Amino acid sequence: MIPPHDPFEAYQYRMSRRRFLQGVGVTMALPWLESLPVWGQSTPSAASVAAATEAAASTGGAAAAGIASPFPKRFAVLFMGNGINGNHWWAKGSGADLRLGKSLEPLAPIKSKINVINGLFNKPAVGIGIHPGQTGQLLSGSAIQRGATIRAGITIDQVIANHVGQETVQPSLVLACEQPMTGYHETNFSMAYSSHISWQSADSPVPNEVYPALAFDSLFENRGALRNQSVLDRVMDRAKTLSRQVSAADKGKIDEYLTSVREVEKRVERMRAEQTTAEEKAKDKGRYIFSMDRPANGLPEDLRDHTRLMCDIVALAFQTDKTRVASLLLARDLSSLYYPFLGVKEGHHSASHNDLSDGYEKISRFHLSQMAYLAQKLDAMPEGDGTVLDHSCLMFLSNMWSGWKHDNMKIPVVLAGGLGGTLQTGRALDYLHAGDDNRKLCSLYLALMDRVGVKLDHFGDADERLANL
Amino acid sequence: MRIPPSASLLFIALGAVCARAGALTDHDLTQRFETKVRPLVNTYCTDCHSGKKPKGDLDLTQYQDLASVVDDYSEWAVALEKIASHDMPSEKAKKFPTDDEREELMAWIRDVRVAEARKHAGDPGVVLARRLNNAEYNYTIRDLTGVDLQPAREFPVDPANPMGFDNTGESLAMSPTLLNKYLQAARSVADCLVLKPHGIAFAPHPMLVETDRDKYCIDEIVSFYHRQPTDYADYFYAAWRYQHRAAAGQPHATLSEVAAATKVSPKYLATVWQLLDDAKEDVGPGAKLRTRWRALPATGSEAEIRAECAKLRDWVMDLRAKLEPRFPNITGVSGIPATAEPFLMWKNRQYATHRRTFDPDALQIGGKAKPVLIAMAKPKTSVAAADAVEEDAPSEAAPKRQGGDPDLFVPERNPDRYLAAFAHFCSVFPDAFYVQERGRNYLDKTKDKGRLLSAGFHNVMGYFRDDQPLSELVLDEKGRQELDSLWEDLDFVAAATKRTYVQFVFNESADAREIAKRAAERDVTKESQVRATMAAYLAKAQASHSAVAQQAIETHFTTVNATLRSIERARTEAEPQQLEAALAFAARAYRRPLTEAERADLVGFYRQTRQATGLGHEDAMRDLIVAILMSPDFCYRLDLSTGAGAVTMGAGGIPVQPLSDEALASRLSFFLWSSVPDAELAACARRGELHQPAVLMAQARRMLADPRSRALALEFGGNWLDFRRLEELNTVDRERFPTFTNALREAMFEEPVRLLSDVFSQNRSVLDLIYGHDTFVNAPLARHYGMPEPAGDAWVHVTDADRYDRGGLLPMAAFLTKNAPGLRTSPVKRGYWVVKRVLGEFIPPPPAAVPELPRDEAKTELPLRDMLARHRSEKSCAACHARFDSLGLVFEGYGPVGERRQVDLAGRPVDAHATFPHDVASGEGLAGLRDYIRGHRENDFVDNLCRKLLAYALNRSLILPDDATIDDMRSKLAANGYRFQTLVDCIVTSPQFLNRRAGAAPADSLVDAGDGR
Repeated sequence: MIPPHDPFEAYQYRMSRRRFLQGVGVTMALPWLESLPVWGQSTPSAASVAAATEAAASTGGAAAAGIASPFPKRFAVLFMGNGINGNHWWAKGSGADLRLGKSLEPLAPIKSKINVINGLFNKPAVGIGIHPGQTGQLLSGSAIQRGATIRAGITIDQVIANHVGQETVQPSLVLACEQPMTGYHETNFSMAYSSHISWQSADSPVPNEVYPALAFDSLFENRGALRNQSVLDRVMDRAKTLSRQVSAADKGKIDEYLTSVREVEKRVERMRAEQTTAEEKAKDKGRYIFSMDRPANGLPEDLRDHTRLMCDIVALAFQTDKTRVASLLLARDLSSLYYPFLGVKEGHHSASHNDLSDGYEKISRFHLSQMAYLAQKLDAMPEGDGTVLDHSCLMFLSNMWSGWKHDNMKIPVVLAGGLGGTLQTGRALDYLHAGDDNRKLCSLYLALMDRVGVKLDHFGDADERLANL
Repeated sequence: MRIPPSASLLFIALGAVCARAGALTDHDLTQRFETKVRPLVNTYCTDCHSGKKPKGDLDLTQYQDLASVVDDYSEWAVALEKIASHDMPSEKAKKFPTDDEREELMAWIRDVRVAEARKHAGDPGVVLARRLNNAEYNYTIRDLTGVDLQPAREFPVDPANPMGFDNTGESLAMSPTLLNKYLQAARSVADCLVLKPHGIAFAPHPMLVETDRDKYCIDEIVSFYHRQPTDYADYFYAAWRYQHRAAAGQPHATLSEVAAATKVSPKYLATVWQLLDDAKEDVGPGAKLRTRWRALPATGSEAEIRAECAKLRDWVMDLRAKLEPRFPNITGVSGIPATAEPFLMWKNRQYATHRRTFDPDALQIGGKAKPVLIAMAKPKTSVAAADAVEEDAPSEAAPKRQGGDPDLFVPERNPDRYLAAFAHFCSVFPDAFYVQERGRNYLDKTKDKGRLLSAGFHNVMGYFRDDQPLSELVLDEKGRQELDSLWEDLDFVAAATKRTYVQFVFNESADAREIAKRAAERDVTKESQVRATMAAYLAKAQASHSAVAQQAIETHFTTVNATLRSIERARTEAEPQQLEAALAFAARAYRRPLTEAERADLVGFYRQTRQATGLGHEDAMRDLIVAILMSPDFCYRLDLSTGAGAVTMGAGGIPVQPLSDEALASRLSFFLWSSVPDAELAACARRGELHQPAVLMAQARRMLADPRSRALALEFGGNWLDFRRLEELNTVDRERFPTFTNALREAMFEEPVRLLSDVFSQNRSVLDLIYGHDTFVNAPLARHYGMPEPAGDAWVHVTDADRYDRGGLLPMAAFLTKNAPGLRTSPVKRGYWVVKRVLGEFIPPPPAAVPELPRDEAKTELPLRDMLARHRSEKSCAACHARFDSLGLVFEGYGPVGERRQVDLAGRPVDAHATFPHDVASGEGLAGLRDYIRGHRENDFVDNLCRKLLAYALNRSLILPDDATIDDMRSKLAANGYRFQTLVDCIVTSPQFLNRRAGAAPADSLVDAGDGR
């Protein structure tokens, strides 16, 4: 039995205990690197950008110095399956007068930085079958295929990652707090559609990372780079040996290879070295640093630990510019998560069939509060004149409105962050009666992608940007 | 500048060798240089070719002795050509040599070449270490992994060497950017790695997410099913063939031979034959079938008999469907629904184990008319209160047949004979050999299509194997083992049972959940947890007094647990085998056995990866594959001295060393396949037999006949004839030529590949490439050529292509289109292509300022030929254009996309008549050009082909000492009816191919032959 207590606290206590419990793995505390040029680090102009940034900071902001904001824009999707409690999911007014329904209350402290969007829908997901048929195309707006052959479309987060991901350690972070399912739903759609929200191509979802420790490693121990480095080390040794064995003529060719390997390895090393220097520098300046220890191996036993760790990892990744794109599946469609700490007996999916119940309101609020947690965390990280949140956009959404009716004629969407001043915030926007052509989810995606510098003519079923965003 | 000698001139030169063989010493040549050649040069040439700005950048005063000429022979080769064609001395010269003087000069230049070639005869030349080019990388990965992954498709295009080939160290460079792409490519290959119980394999797609793993294993199983002969009609036909073997003139054919000829299972044919042949059983469906089968006519076309057999098959299947036994749901267990996994699995097993039995209740015994169900009943899902087992009731909607069905009728008297006959019939003809898809309501086979191998669970995953009749009746021992191992893979590779069980715990089973809570999945699948969950289920079954339910639950959990445990064990036991398989992969990738040190090094890398980076077995294995593919031993072709024979001093003091058999195998396979040796070739090398000429030539012959030799047609042919990048061709105006589609462009590309491939693999005469009346077409190309269209996607060999003005390489649309600039033809480009690519003539590049021809032929006042004639009247242009325009004008009967035409785009009748260079002949169209080549240029074509093929095979530009091999190739070719295999035999047994240069190369032997065309 888990004692009844406020589900949204108790986290600190667990974290400190975990610090003593961690198994293998290196304890790494990573600082926040305000103006240090971890972005653009591999370009020769990194130093000059940094200088310009420092100069701009001392003369009153980037805009005053006449340069484009040097701060990268970040984008994250947070998803919970099976809809929300529609009675308590609303927002009215704007700015300081923005009022929020009970489920959205966790966002109250940062309400000037959010947009609650009502009335959008994803037409390709309507009328083809409940659950996976409502989920497989949520972030792509593409048609999906029934039966054994999986066919969907690349999703907004991966489109952005393809454009901006080369500049960071990881193109994107794709995390989940629940293991995927396979098999077939009664609608004959594969359960893969219910289990993955990020798709890298029409026939392949991005693997979800459910283990916090591995997600952490992928960014902060730079595992991909480390692995490549060890391959390159080995190759270099072999090329050196060969170079001594072959004829003078061949030596030239092998040395060409050796030089190329060395160059690539240097890039990897430089990336790591710059990271360390940047960390030292930040420490010297005594700046506020958010840090976390490497999470323990395995799956956290408590869902609250799991969601918070995943949010922390996203926060840390955005802060240190290890990635600019993240997706976090909190609860998949047809979720089988349990919430004993909320006092709800049923599992997520069963509870969603009684979507207007108190229990399901608590579940909805619990997941929304993860977004609030992450947003506040990012908002506490100064960056230039604003905060990391100001340069980001977090998008929370579900695949339907009502779990009882499996109704996705409108779906809940909440945004947080201003994307570097390109997105006005503090608003409740309602498109429900704008006409079906003017309330497409993919229109919102086009509008958001514009603001992170990815200009597309079409995406999914949309070729127009969402009006009045 | 690398400029070649004219091939014809060389031909003369080689002929002269024999006559004057004794006179070509350095001493004689030096003397002739001093007494004859230098004075002539000084008299006629150095007025222009000397000083600060010598004409053509050639200062002839720099050549003071024989050695300096040898060093720079390519310049002299050009000079020879210019003198021979009377281009030099130029018209502006003040003095001209007499014919004798001209001949004196030319003879000396030729003699220098011959002397030099002989002095270093057999020099293998410098073959630089070369990285795999993009095509070789792709082919190699295909042959190493068994899947065509094309990891190099995003690599930048490889540069070609001066001879036009992209397979030499001269042109293939490495850069950090490219290395990064190599790294990505190696990763993408490693992502496809599949760890199997006894080794490794590769999937055609990444194996990173569970969906991918499922898909891979399921595809393997389903495609295995589809490969099996399971159509009854085929067996009835085979039995008919056997029955009438004597009439077909094969009185001694055995049943097995007939099975092999008709591609059916010999084992099952024997079973079917036995039933059809067994006259003792004279009642029941078997007897009916026998009667109908025997009534098949003894003679008849295969199609007719097969059609009749299909009717018999339909009758059997129809009857079999009516006799399929049905099994009930397990219901009435309080707290466990009928759709619970243990119960559904029980039901699946009932069906799977009774596919060769029948439902006696379906029979109509005696006179009473019994309704017979002909549509499947829906499974009833409602929970019955009392009875633990409930029959599936026929649904209200299911149509029924009233009255008797003669096929199901059994007389009341002595029904046992009939029942036995039905039993025999149903045991021979199962209601299904295998079940490849199953919906939720799987008795209703019309719903939920595409759920491959599904267990029929609601919403959650689950697979079920139902192929007992296939195993028992059709497969032999080997087939059974293969199928068993494919099903094992579904658990071993995709962890199907484990994941199904975990999902069951968290999604379906409240009991299991109470036990598991939110524990990590590894705990859920522990034996103790599985047993605890089973106990909870059993308690409910006991409480409801259902023995069937208890049995179902026990079987299910016990089976699941056994599978989980055996996979755990198998995984651990497999690790060393998989590592060993990776080492074998490395040996194949490196094209040689690994040394002990290399084995230790790779194993060390694997262990270190696991320890240092904390990776699991699978990730460490992937990194090991990456490390192998990134090793220079894989991505470079090096002729290492390891294992090679003793160094000897070759002619001219060049140290020569025979290649090891392994290196020779690699050279041979990259020559013919652009890829690594296969098992047979590698075995040959390992036995140390490959260097024997007979073995080498036999292997080459085998490899040319193999489909992989398509790479030779594509990579050699594509570079030689310059169509390798036709798919990028976008000069065609598709509005004016709407028939030019991507499909047509692909077909155009494919045509020369098919013809070359046919000539190479069928050992045809290489002259067929020029004079042949055949070609290959598919539907789009046939349409384009006005030929009858083959059906579907088929490519057909057209042997009377000359009827359509096609045949051989010359009139192929690929070349005609590529060498036309869009809205008009280009006799210049077409003629240039023929003389340069096909005949090997060197033409210097045009001067910077050339007048342009109009873009659109429809908008010109004069026909193109007249404009060209005007162009040729300019002296500066004439010298070159006279050498090729005419060879392009003959193609005027073919439009800008190679289509036949009578009028040009402006509506003027086309004129395909031409007078060939030096006015030696004239002719019209394709036939005229062929006649001209046959009469005057055939030697050029043959010489060019020999040189190109040798350079391609050796991975380097040619050098003077190669002349002897070229001469050998040409004379043997002529003696052997120009068969292609002759060329390959000559090349692979040539000293250049068999040896490598040992040690540092002396500088003077680096002289190239100036074959840089």
